[in-house]
Amino acid sequence: MSSTGRKIALLASLALACCAAALRPPAGVAGAGSDAIRIPYESYTLPNGLTVILSADHTTPTVAVNVWYHVGSKNELPGRTGFAHLFEHIMFTGSGHVPYGLHDKLTEGIGGSNNGTTSNDRTTYFETVPSNYLESSLWIESDRMGFLLDKLDLAKLNAQRDIVKNERRQGVDNQPYGRVNEILSHATYPPSHPYSWDVIGSMEDLSAASEDDVKNFFRLYYAPNNAFLAIAGDFDPAQAKAWVAEYFGDVPRGKPVTRPSAPPVTLSSEQRLVYEDKVQVPRLYVQWPTVGEKDDDHYALEVLGAVLTGPRTARLTKALVYDQQAAANVSAYQGSNEDVGEFSLMIIPRPDHSLTELETAADAVIDKLKSEGPTADEIRKALAGQELSFLRGLESNLGKAMQLCDSAGFHGNAGYFRTDYQKYQAVTAADVKRVADKYLTRGRIDLSVVPTGKLDQASKPAESKKVVIDKMPRPEVQR
Amino acid sequence: MKPKNLQWNSARMLPGVFVLLALVSFPLMSQQTLDRSRVPPPGKPPVLRVPTWTKTTLANGAELIVSEKHDLPLVSFSLTILGGANQFEREDRRGLAGIAASMMSEGTKTRDGEALSNALQLLGTSIGVSVGGESGVISFVSTTGKFGATLDIMADMLGNSTFPADALERIRAQRLVALTQAKAQPASIAGRVFPKVLYGTAHPYGQSVTEESYKAITRDDVVAFCKDYFQPGRALITVTGDVNPAAVKATVDKALASWPKGGTKPQFSYPPLPSPRPATIYIVDKPGAASSTFAIGNPGPPRSTPDYYAIQVMNTMLGGLFQSRLNANIREEKGYSYGVSSSFSYGRGPGPFRTGGDVQSAKTDAALVEFMKELRGIEGTRPVTDEELATAKDALVQRLPGTFASVAGINGALAGLWMQGLPDNYYQQYGKAIAAVTKEDVVRVARQYIDLEHLDIVIVGDRASIEGPLKATGIAPIVVLDIEGNPK
Repeated sequence: MSSTGRKIALLASLALACCAAALRPPAGVAGAGSDAIRIPYESYTLPNGLTVILSADHTTPTVAVNVWYHVGSKNELPGRTGFAHLFEHIMFTGSGHVPYGLHDKLTEGIGGSNNGTTSNDRTTYFETVPSNYLESSLWIESDRMGFLLDKLDLAKLNAQRDIVKNERRQGVDNQPYGRVNEILSHATYPPSHPYSWDVIGSMEDLSAASEDDVKNFFRLYYAPNNAFLAIAGDFDPAQAKAWVAEYFGDVPRGKPVTRPSAPPVTLSSEQRLVYEDKVQVPRLYVQWPTVGEKDDDHYALEVLGAVLTGPRTARLTKALVYDQQAAANVSAYQGSNEDVGEFSLMIIPRPDHSLTELETAADAVIDKLKSEGPTADEIRKALAGQELSFLRGLESNLGKAMQLCDSAGFHGNAGYFRTDYQKYQAVTAADVKRVADKYLTRGRIDLSVVPTGKLDQASKPAESKKVVIDKMPRPEVQR
Repeated sequence: MKPKNLQWNSARMLPGVFVLLALVSFPLMSQQTLDRSRVPPPGKPPVLRVPTWTKTTLANGAELIVSEKHDLPLVSFSLTILGGANQFEREDRRGLAGIAASMMSEGTKTRDGEALSNALQLLGTSIGVSVGGESGVISFVSTTGKFGATLDIMADMLGNSTFPADALERIRAQRLVALTQAKAQPASIAGRVFPKVLYGTAHPYGQSVTEESYKAITRDDVVAFCKDYFQPGRALITVTGDVNPAAVKATVDKALASWPKGGTKPQFSYPPLPSPRPATIYIVDKPGAASSTFAIGNPGPPRSTPDYYAIQVMNTMLGGLFQSRLNANIREEKGYSYGVSSSFSYGRGPGPFRTGGDVQSAKTDAALVEFMKELRGIEGTRPVTDEELATAKDALVQRLPGTFASVAGINGALAGLWMQGLPDNYYQQYGKAIAAVTKEDVVRVARQYIDLEHLDIVIVGDRASIEGPLKATGIAPIVVLDIEGNPK
C-alpha cells in the first residue's frame, strides 16, 4: 500500500503492528494463544450514518481518536491525481469554528500528537491526547467533518498545494529509486484503472486542482455515512457516547458513495523495463499483480513472502544473499490494497554480480518452491511471530483505533481483525504452493533501475524497454 | 463494502432533521443547541504514573533493573553497555562496532547462524544487537511464555559466539553496498558531511565509516572487540513487563552464570572541539536536485548541562513541534518546505544542535534567510510570548505517559537514566524543573548554545542553481565540498 501524509512521520510501525487482545490468560501461562487476539469494543451507528467504535482501556492515561474516511486516490478523477492527499492537507487548515493552529495546540501543544494519511483506499485523521482532552478532539474532528468549507478559500488551497509539491519533491523526485512505485503502477494497470496512479499524484494534476474540486470532493466523500470514528484508550464510554452524539449527531448525511470499479488485473505477458536514475547501485524490481483484501488468497501470498525472504533461512535470502553471495539484499512481500494487490520482489546486487544473473537465480528458487511447495516447518516459522506482533500493537491506543477502523471500514465489522488473524494462522503449505503457482507467472513487470548512462546494467538489457517518465501513459482527462 | 452505511438514500434531508433524530436516539445529549464556537475545556488532568522498579547487582557485577507491567503478556529485555564506538573503536577501524554487533548473530559453539535464526523464528521473536556512539544494546521483546527460552539464546550469543570468518566477508560486502547506496541519498550525505564539518576528523563525533575503514577490519578485530566490549562491569540489564522481580533475578542469574566478571565503566573524555570559525555555507553539489537538504548547527552541550530543561523548552518553541517558529514560518506560512525542525542531540559529550529539513531548490536562498531570522528571533529579536512558553512546557511534560505506554518504551527510559547518570527520581521532578524555566532562560540558552557568528550551514543541493542566490543573501561565505565533506 502506498500511503502519504501531512507530516513526516514513521507510521510504518503502526501500520505493521496489528492490534488485538486485551482479555488474556493469567500471567505466567505460557503462550497467550489465539484467545488473546481480542480488543474489547462496542460499535454503533448514528442516524446520519457515522459508525462509532469505542474501546476503553485505562492502562495508559491517553486517548486516541481516529476518523477514517472511505476515500483515497482510487476515487480521484482523471486529471486530478494526487487530489485525495492534497485534500487531506486542507483538512488541517482550520474549519468553521476551529481557527487554524488550534488543532495543533490542542494536540501537540498539550503533549499529544496528530497526523493524517492517505492511501489508495482510505484517508485517516488521528490524534492521541492526554485523556482529559478527549472532548476537544471530538470537537475538532466533528467541526472539520461538518464545517470545513465555511473557512475554505483559494489562498489555503494554494498554500497546501505548494507544501504537497514539496512533499513530492522530497519523497519522490529527490530520492534515489523514488520513481519506482509510479513506474510499476503505470505498468501494471491500464491507464483507466484507479490503481494505475500513485497516491502522491503528478505535479501537473496538483497544479490543476480547483476550489470547486475541493468542495465537490468534500461534499461527496467527507459525509458521516462514509466515515468511521474510533476512540481507544482511557475514557468513560458513557461520556464519550454523549459527546459523540452532541458533536457529530447534526452533521448531515451525504449522498451515497459509488465505489469505483477496480478489479484485480492479470498481465498476458512479461514486460521488461529499464529506468535510469541518479543512483550508484542498480536494483531489480519484479512485480506480479495479485489480489487485495477482498480475496482470501492474500493471506497465503503474505506467507509466501515470509517463506521467500526475511530471516536468513528464507529461501531467496538464503540462496542469493548467503549461499551464492550474489545479492546484498533481497525482499519479497504481498502488498494488499482494498481491491487489488501486488507481489513485489526487490534485489540489490553485490558488485560483480549482474541483475541478469540474479533474476535467473531468483526464478530458479521460485520455480523450485512452486514445484515442491514449502515445508510444514517453513509455514510454522512464518506464522510464529504473528501473536507477538498483535500483542505489541495493543500497547498503542492509536494502533488499536486504527486497527478497529480498518476492520470496520474495509470489512464491515470492527471485529474483523480477529478473523484476519485466524485466516492468516490457517494458511497451509498447500495454500502457499497454490498461490505461488497461480500468481507468480510470466505475466509480470521486471523493472531494472540503473545508474544514468548504464543501461547495460539492466537485467537482460537487450529485451528491456527504456522508461521515459514524461511519456508514461496517463489517464485521459475527461473535462 | 459497508452496505449498512449506504442504504440510507436521504442526501437531501436537512441537517435539522438529524439534530432531532439525534436527540431522540441519544437522551444523554443536552437539549440546548450546541455552541460550536466554545472550545471545550479539558477535564481533570490524569495523574502521572511513573514506572517503579527494583535494582540489584548480579554476582558478576552487572546491574539488574526489573519493572513490572502486567496488562499484557509481554516482556522487554535489554542488556545495555555503557560506552560505544567512540570509546571502544579505533579511529582507523570505524565501522568495527557495527560489524561486531552483526557478528553476534552468526553462530555459537552449539548453534550455527541458521540454527539461531530457526530457534528465534519459532519463538516468534528476534534478538537485536547494536552498538552506537556511546552505548550498545542486546535486546528483545517476547511473550511472557517465551521469555526464558529467548533469554537462553541471548546468553548463548553473548558467551559462545564463534564469529565465522566467511560471515565477516558477507557482512562487510553488504555494508559496502549500503555505503555506496547512501552516497546517492541526500539525507545520508548531509548526515555524513554535517558532523565532519562541525567536529573535524580528529573528534570521534566527526568521524564516519569509510570504504577504507570497512576494508581494514579483520576477524581478529571483531573477536577482540566483542571480548573487550561486552563485559558485565559496564552493563545494565533491564527487564520490563509481565514478570516477577525475584523470578527474573533467578532466571537471569542462571542464564548469565558463565558470563565472567570484568570490565569497567569507560571515561567519556573527548578531544577539544576545533576552534570556532566564522559562519560558513557549505554546498555539497547534487546536480539537478529537486530539493535542497539543509543541516545548520554547531556543537552543543552534553546531556549533563544544568541548562538542559531551559534548552528543551527553548528548542520546543523554535523547532520541536509542528507549530514551532521554524515550521510555522518556513512550511506553513512560506510554503518552502514539507517540514523543518530543530533538535539538540545530547550525549556524554558535546552533541550537535541541528536545524534543517528539505527545501524546494528554487527557495533555497529564501529559506536560509528565514532560518537565520528565526534563529535571531529566539535569541531575542522576537520576544517569547506567555502562550509560547506555556505551550512548550505543556508539550514536554504531558507527553511523558506516552513514553511509558510500552514495555520497550519503559525499558528505554530506564536504561536512558542509567546511561546519562540521571537520578532515580528524574521523572518525578521533571515537571517541576520544566515549570521553573523563564522567558529570560529561553533567550539566554539560545544565545549561549546557538552560535550565529560561527554557525555551520550545510546544504546538499543543485549547486548550479543555488550558489548564486545563496551568495546574494550575504549571510556567509560559501565553500563547496564533495559528498565526503572534503573541499573541492
